[in-house]
Amino acid sequence: MKLTLRVNGADHEVDVPRRATLLAVLRDDLGLVATRFGCGSGQCGACYVLADGAAVASCLMTVDQAVDHDIVTVEGLSQDGKLSPVQDAFARESAMQCGYCTSGMLISATALLGHTPSPSEDEIREALAPNLCRCGVYGRAIRAVQRAAGAT
Amino acid sequence: MIDGTRLEGRIRVERDGSVTVLSGKVEFGQGIRTGFAQIVADEMDVPIERVKVILADTAQTPPDRGTFGSHSTEQEGPTLRRAGAFARRQLIERASSKLGVAADRLRTEQGVVRDGDGASVAYADLVTDAPLSGAIPDDVPLLPRERWRYMGKPRPALEAVDIVSGCARYAADVRLPGMLRGAVVRPPVRGAKVRAVDDAAAKAMPGVVAVIRDGDLVGVVAEREEQARAAADAVDVDWSVPATAEGETIVLPLREDEGVDAALASGAKKVERTYVCPPIANAPIGPSAAVADVRADGATIYGSTHRPFGLREAAAKRVGLPPEKVRFVLTLGSGTYGRSSSFDAPMEAVILSKNVGRPVLLQWSRAEEFQWSPSRPEAVLEASVALDASGGIAAWRYDEHTNIHTSSGFDPSYGGESTGRNAVPPYRVPHAHVTLYVEPTPLRTANFRSLAASENVFAIESLMDELAHESGQDPVAFRVRHLDDARLRRVLERLAERAGWGKPRGERRGLGVACTEYHGTKVAEAAEVEVSPSGVVRVLRMWAVVDPGSVVNPDGVRNQIEGGMQQSASWAVFESLRHRGPRVLTSSWDTYRIATFRDAPLSIDVEVAGDPSAPSSGVGEPGAVPAAAAVANAVFAACGARVRELPLTPERVRAAIAAR
Ligand code: FES
Ligand code: FES
Repeated sequence: MKLTLRVNGADHEVDVPRRATLLAVLRDDLGLVATRFGCGSGQCGACYVLADGAAVASCLMTVDQAVDHDIVTVEGLSQDGKLSPVQDAFARESAMQCGYCTSGMLISATALLGHTPSPSEDEIREALAPNLCRCGVYGRAIRAVQRAAGAT
Repeated sequence: MIDGTRLEGRIRVERDGSVTVLSGKVEFGQGIRTGFAQIVADEMDVPIERVKVILADTAQTPPDRGTFGSHSTEQEGPTLRRAGAFARRQLIERASSKLGVAADRLRTEQGVVRDGDGASVAYADLVTDAPLSGAIPDDVPLLPRERWRYMGKPRPALEAVDIVSGCARYAADVRLPGMLRGAVVRPPVRGAKVRAVDDAAAKAMPGVVAVIRDGDLVGVVAEREEQARAAADAVDVDWSVPATAEGETIVLPLREDEGVDAALASGAKKVERTYVCPPIANAPIGPSAAVADVRADGATIYGSTHRPFGLREAAAKRVGLPPEKVRFVLTLGSGTYGRSSSFDAPMEAVILSKNVGRPVLLQWSRAEEFQWSPSRPEAVLEASVALDASGGIAAWRYDEHTNIHTSSGFDPSYGGESTGRNAVPPYRVPHAHVTLYVEPTPLRTANFRSLAASENVFAIESLMDELAHESGQDPVAFRVRHLDDARLRRVLERLAERAGWGKPRGERRGLGVACTEYHGTKVAEAAEVEVSPSGVVRVLRMWAVVDPGSVVNPDGVRNQIEGGMQQSASWAVFESLRHRGPRVLTSSWDTYRIATFRDAPLSIDVEVAGDPSAPSSGVGEPGAVPAAAAVANAVFAACGARVRELPLTPERVRAAIAAR
């Protein structure tokens, strides 16, 4: 089916199976591969995107559900080639090892700071709890969100 | 083959003055790319921003046996240092003839050669006629430590900005013209043979390009991922399940001193204990993935593996091409902690691509990753120890029962080093018998961060704690009195200071320590835990002091050690892979709980106390080794519950409390 998705501030026309997930369409039709597949069932956070500012699992959302929302992926966090405060803070704190989970964390952190500009450590842990990281960078990621909160 | 002993196989000065470094090693987030750039930027005296590191591209990088055992910096570092220094010397020689100035009057400065009078020439202008080349000499003088600009200083990963901006590319992100998507039809058990395939329904499904049967691999190739998956589910395969062969137990003595039995019998105090570690999953966040493009005249594979050159050989053999016609190109990889020493997804992608003559991307599902990946085998560790009248260790018998810990099969000449890793304690023990029993298993097992060391050290360091308590000695002092290794003693004593050993921790809280040497790296760790009345273990804080010899990137070391500790604390508290015979039952994160942001300790404090006079040793694995014992020992300190079987579930903790 043909539909129009609003992603990273622009409208994109796609022609895809109706039940295709937003994740598949972002990665395979729009070339936005920084949103990653981890589990396909809403359990790991690797595929998180912003939908109207809230962090959601794009592996659970179908494209026809996504048309009603303003979607932002990691590629859309930077403005005019400048990293967002969250992106910058994650890089500066080296809050990553393999980086596979990083996109999802950036999205959860951005959503959190969107509604809670100065979160407590517990609020950060709660907001990022859906984002699994096997390399174990949780501590650094918490510091990165705190740094980003300080910068905004 | 690229010759890694020659400069042209290691370093290229490009026309624009940038420097390309070549290594057959693989980056999984352990930070080797950054470390290699620091080394070469310093030795060549160029700004690090101008250094690019190409890893594991079989068409460009020298061959390598594999990225294992935290050896990368130790193995490649010295070669790259000499290569960099040799390159710099050649550049000075070339500048000398170009400027007509004696070489000893020239110096380098961040990519430029200068003399004292203001004449200068950029590196880029010294390679226009011929690239740098020649056998890298053993004795080329290296840059003295006081002139290091990058080495020894913290440095964010080179990939960091690409990763946060979304430009980083992992295997599943590769997009080639005409690329299709693959999915594999899994048999009921590993090793099943195909009797017949009914693909009529699958072939009629939208987007399906082909249903492939190649040997005992059955798969679907389709235009879209979801189409390939749906069609794979619709393929009906008649499998014949092979009878499981029993296999034999291999017994390998690792240490056999005389007189152990007599010493055990005559000791003042005898302690016998058994410790158990369950099978656990490497459980990468990114399931295995690869892209293969196999044509009649050559093939290219994109992905991530611990053994790029081994994969090239295997793929070449499978598709009947000479190895030099097969190219492996490394992409970024999800951390897999040893799991991708098996070639699963890349080989399957190769077979699918060969059959359709187009590039194929294959990414495993989460269920496949849990159920078809190799995992860390279980281990049962049995110990009998005798203490003498002064509380010193008099005799030590230790039996390690486990399965093969490497994907490449069992090689007895190496078995003690892999499957029996760290079974021999680092302590002074006058009479010791250490024996490894490698037993058959229906499960598929493979390399996982530190191989058997994390199980052995869990047992040995829990045991050391028990021995100290049984004989009324302080656990830190008890270890120290048995340590001859001055560097290991130093990290343990330093750790005790940093963690505030001996300080009361409050109700239901306790501090535990553990230490080990792993491939030359000395590491001591402490954990502070809180145990709830219902037996729930929460790791509050962790500390480590690590001596990995001379250090290239201190923050990189810290990051690796922290990650290892966090991962190992997760193993200890939560993880166990459920299986029945050869069938893994765990299929999702729902049933395989790992530590999350909620469980992460409030702090992980890592002191990097590298001995600068010692060679660099690895840090990717050692952090994960002592942490489980530190946590278990802390549980004992908190509530007197000695849990000898991992994970430290509330049920086990409650049972141990009841058994006090
Ligand atoms: S891939 Fe969507 S939550 Fe894991
Ligand atoms: S950085 Fe590797 S999974 Fe998080």
